[in-house]
Amino acid sequence: MMTKQLNIEEIQKILPQRFPFLMIDRVLELKPKEKIIALKNVSVNEEYFVGHFKGNPIMPGVLIIEAMAQASIILFSYGIDSASDKNLNYYLGSTKIRFLHPVKPGDQLEILIEPIKIISNAAIVKTSVKVSGNEVASGELSFVAKENE
Amino acid sequence: MQDIENEIKNLIAEIIEKDPSEINPEARFIEDLGVDSMMALEILAGIEKKYKISIPEEKLQELRTLSQTVLIAKEYLDKK
Repeated sequence: MMTKQLNIEEIQKILPQRFPFLMIDRVLELKPKEKIIALKNVSVNEEYFVGHFKGNPIMPGVLIIEAMAQASIILFSYGIDSASDKNLNYYLGSTKIRFLHPVKPGDQLEILIEPIKIISNAAIVKTSVKVSGNEVASGELSFVAKENE
Repeated sequence: MQDIENEIKNLIAEIIEKDPSEINPEARFIEDLGVDSMMALEILAGIEKKYKISIPEEKLQELRTLSQTVLIAKEYLDKK
């Protein structure tokens, strides 16, 4: 299977999330159903830094999980022609994530996702997130895809 | 067979966060143990990883009790 890269326009054809909740800027490497490496650039302009925390900006761990989940959606959905037609919604099932280092403005998250098990409407994946080659978070998450009613 | 049943019982107990003693062989996953579809998939993936086997998606709906799950695992272990 060929390795693909995706720019933000292509990403937005797959992910339903939009401002301020689109957490993937670029896909560096995508092998459908096998592996994805996606980028999230963390800017000081992001609104949550105003209060998380005042004078000590740290990206909330739950938003790192969100970025992992969005990268997982791309891995899961890419190549499903009808993914956008069907208006699929994605629901997290469970997460088991360990956070190793704080993420700060200026960091670039390199999010690796590999499947543990993918079925037609759900997946369990393992993930590792690095900043400048150092792992900042890792673990597993599961999610299900459902058609929007 | 008994070993496999115990191993799978412990695996399920960990995923659904219940004590292994609560998981009787014929207890129904959904009705009696509160297993949802995501947990069922985690059980399937856990068994695949533990025994290094591959179980097709269609079998997921047959995972209804511990005893059925053991039978399915055994079926694919034999095919290995």
